[in-house]
Amino acid sequence: MSRPTVQLRTLVRREILRFVRRPYNTFLPPIITNTLYFAVFGVILGSRIGSIAGVSYIQFVLPGLVVLGSISDAFENASFSIFHGRWNDYIDAVIVTPMSNLNMVASYVIASAIRGIVTALLIVGVGLVFTSVPISHPFYLAANVLVITTLFGGLGIIGGLWADDFDYLTVMNQFILRPLVFFGAVFYSLSVLPPLWRQVSLLNPMVYMVNGVRYGMIGVSEVDPNTSLAVLSTATVAVLAADYLLFRRGYGLTE
Amino acid sequence: MVAAIEIDGLTKRYGDVTALDGVSLSVPEGSFFGLLGPNGAGKTTFINILVGLARKSGGEARVFGHDIETEYRAARDRVGLAPQEFNVDRFFPIREVLEHKAGYHGIPSPEARQRADEALKQVGIYEKRDTRFDWLSGGMKRRFLIARALVTDPDLLILDEPTAGVDVQLRHDLWELITDLNEGGTTILLTTHYIEEAERLCDEVAILDQGRVVTVATPGDLMDRGTDRITVTFRDPIRSTPSIAAGNGQVEAVEIRDGRLVVSASQGGLVAPELVRELDAAGYEIVDLDVSRTSLEEVFVELTRSDSSVTEEGTA
Ligand SMILES: Nc1ncnc2c1ncn2[C@@H]1O[C@H](COP(=O)(O)OP(=O)(O)O)[C@@H](O)[C@H]1O
Ligand SMILES: [Mg+2]
Repeated sequence: MSRPTVQLRTLVRREILRFVRRPYNTFLPPIITNTLYFAVFGVILGSRIGSIAGVSYIQFVLPGLVVLGSISDAFENASFSIFHGRWNDYIDAVIVTPMSNLNMVASYVIASAIRGIVTALLIVGVGLVFTSVPISHPFYLAANVLVITTLFGGLGIIGGLWADDFDYLTVMNQFILRPLVFFGAVFYSLSVLPPLWRQVSLLNPMVYMVNGVRYGMIGVSEVDPNTSLAVLSTATVAVLAADYLLFRRGYGLTE
Repeated sequence: MVAAIEIDGLTKRYGDVTALDGVSLSVPEGSFFGLLGPNGAGKTTFINILVGLARKSGGEARVFGHDIETEYRAARDRVGLAPQEFNVDRFFPIREVLEHKAGYHGIPSPEARQRADEALKQVGIYEKRDTRFDWLSGGMKRRFLIARALVTDPDLLILDEPTAGVDVQLRHDLWELITDLNEGGTTILLTTHYIEEAERLCDEVAILDQGRVVTVATPGDLMDRGTDRITVTFRDPIRSTPSIAAGNGQVEAVEIRDGRLVVSASQGGLVAPELVRELDAAGYEIVDLDVSRTSLEEVFVELTRSDSSVTEEGTA
């Protein structure tokens, strides 16, 4: 194994162990939350709502819940690890090593994307308890999940570097991420909105993520799946480039 | 041979505070180098710049010939740092923390594990390998920081106040350990404000004060710069000061205290024999002679006297 590979492996492994060893903090919450969502929206309300876009309500909601869970966990993973490492100074122990900035960024992003993907799988697993889970376009599904978890791992790095206190993380996750996802057509179809709100919704990046994953699962999309995948991939590349530049500048890491 | 550390005109400003003000230094490979200075002198800042934890505001810094910014990977690869403040990942048992550290340096896992165990044994906390950092005692925490610095077998070991607040036993263990490492070829940069430590261990010391290098010298040379005191006791206490020609130019003061003659001179050890011969020849009957060397501490206080009390109040 080459030196950079050993370095990358070490940091990715450390970051994965960090969440694998605390399952009650990392794996259990999405299982419980999503069981509740499915019970309420799927079973209790779902029968009254009937079908949307040709599938049962629970199947319609599932992709949105996958997005909500996976991106917030990918974000939380990177932002918390970096912020906590700065808070307790142990991130210094990584900085003083010969790891390249690119390698450090890649490690945090990869581990966070894996965390997001694991969460996505857990949510699908919970979904399977309540209903069948169609997979119409496996490529789109995989590509979208990969891109959005990478994107939010990358955003988590920015958040973790910017945060000055634990409050910042809460603010980012609860007050920015969640509202965007909730108004990102997770629980309803854009077609039910009046034209004005429909247009406004199209400015919300979450709409594209939810749509991409929904297209992969139930094969129905309200925006062109290729366009949204291309836009999301571009955003991801931009965010990763920003991560790299911030690490190189030592933003939030060095005085 | 390239120097282990080569610094030229290094400056660092934190807003209005100038932590380093044009520091130039060269630490030869294989040396045991002390960086001495009162609190707030800029010692930690100096180290942080070398390892990438602080960004320099100006000047040049090289570690084994590698520029610390443009060749940061090569520079950092050869350094092991035991920092002043604890910065250990508390989530993992300490043996794993060491394995990670080795891995960041590109050492593959079976070897990383082996090195982790060796480093823990070296500092005597191997039996604590499965414990987390938080559960170690204060002294063990210090030992662990050294183990982490050693796990990659560095060519330059930097110890930032390693013995601050540790007990005598640990201090001596540490001294022995780092002396052995230095004899094995490892360059050591030690910061301290314990003069005794520098005096005992270092080949060369730089005295840093308010971000400036006041002087660089061997501990012996520094002491020669200080004033020694020669006290001569006579059979009959004397009343008047004899004229003294000895130690031409080195004698700074001659006085009488309680009937004894007290001569202050630089390099008192050289002046004393001459002085005795002269007094003898003049008919004085000497019953006792005492030469007390200045301590390095006194020289240090002398050199860093300028406003250092202000600095210390500000940061202590
Ligand atoms: N992160 C920082 N922000 C602002 N000032 C700092 C910072 N770190 C150190 N300083 C200041 O720089 C000076 C040198 O500090 P330091 O390098 O820690 O000294 P030493 O290690 O010799 O005690 C002090 O005046 C200190 O207050
Ligand atoms: Mg210090």
